[in-house]
Amino acid sequence: MSSDTFVLEFRDVQRRYGDPVRGVRALGPIDLQIARGELVSIMGPSGSGKSTLLSLAGGLDFATQGHVKVMDQDLRESNSRQLTRLRRRTIGFVFQDLNLLPGLSLLENVALPLELDGVAHRVAFREAEQQLDSVGIAKLADRFPDDVSGGERQRAAIARAFVGPRCLLLADEPTGALDSLTGESVMQLLRAHCDSGRTIVVVTHNAAHAACADRVIYLRDGIKVDEVSDSDPTSRVPTQRHTGETNA
Amino acid sequence: MSIRHGILGVLSGGPAHGYRIKTQFEESTGGAWTLNVGQVYTTLNRLERDGLVECMADADDSVKEWRITKSGQKTLSNWFQTPVDDSQVRDELTIKVLFAVVAQSFDVPALVQKQRGTAMGRLQQLMKRNREISRGDNLIDILLLDSQIIKVEAEIKWLDTCEARLLKWRKERGEL
Repeated sequence: MSSDTFVLEFRDVQRRYGDPVRGVRALGPIDLQIARGELVSIMGPSGSGKSTLLSLAGGLDFATQGHVKVMDQDLRESNSRQLTRLRRRTIGFVFQDLNLLPGLSLLENVALPLELDGVAHRVAFREAEQQLDSVGIAKLADRFPDDVSGGERQRAAIARAFVGPRCLLLADEPTGALDSLTGESVMQLLRAHCDSGRTIVVVTHNAAHAACADRVIYLRDGIKVDEVSDSDPTSRVPTQRHTGETNA
Repeated sequence: MSIRHGILGVLSGGPAHGYRIKTQFEESTGGAWTLNVGQVYTTLNRLERDGLVECMADADDSVKEWRITKSGQKTLSNWFQTPVDDSQVRDELTIKVLFAVVAQSFDVPALVQKQRGTAMGRLQQLMKRNREISRGDNLIDILLLDSQIIKVEAEIKWLDTCEARLLKWRKERGEL
């Protein structure tokens, strides 16, 4: 697979806090390639570097060593305008909570990223309606976030994350606040998005939800300690063993 | 759980002959527990001896139908009402990890990691099946799959805990 087919790529990435060499290591060194249409889960205990990995992938934070590329664009070498453009047009985010603005309807919430990107109001709303329909809550378009269930809010958040031409979704514990069956339906929705060519990286503590992915990556103390692939039972990739170095 | 209770459960739905009991038993367990006809008849004879079922032979005695007695209903009801106490730690994985720790010379974190990878692979297959099955209507299959998924989840959770405890243990003793 050539590098230009990867939607997300980490090459020898490290993130340290404080001194770039001797500071506390939050992540890495880590290599990671995620192709178009893949659903990848990241698992690991608290403090293992899962959220750091997601922040680096989304350009919300930067590596102290190595290269993070999204659609072949090196994030550390990008200026703020390029990064803003990337976050608005390529990357969507879903978090456990604080996803939606409470004063806006679900439709307005989903249309917001497009309007911020200069898309005409009518076009943005039409696109938002389609996205809400694709996640099965078109009928709730005029409701406000506080008036719908947790599962419906997460569906709206996923619709907003994928509105427009975005192809990469970064989700941090998207099912964390949901009951088991609702969480499962959210994962199935993410799975369906990947089957239609989107790429998704999900951080989760829930093994069953993680298992909906094509690949499950385990982090511990900032290092990838294991990787399990669904495509071929024999394709488990032996990875670096835990070294015991203390991290954040 | 015993075959006895399973057969009483089948017969509580109405009288049945031996082969019907066997197929109904297997359908009720989603195919996870299969019986041979010999097991069914041996168990039926014992249940009859204990007064929990009775045989209703037809005129030419060619096909015997069995039905549950009042005493059998009571036994079944008691079984349903008694919580399952599965506190015995005898599954192979647990014992294997415990012995690996005792053996000391073995790389226990590697064992845990390998087992967790295998369990996750199994869970991926179950979740794939779950996506297919949730559109269907067979409640027995769905409940059985739920049970399998939750057991593998628990196994992974236990292995995660093992790994964390082993690392903590070794750090505290200056081994890392």
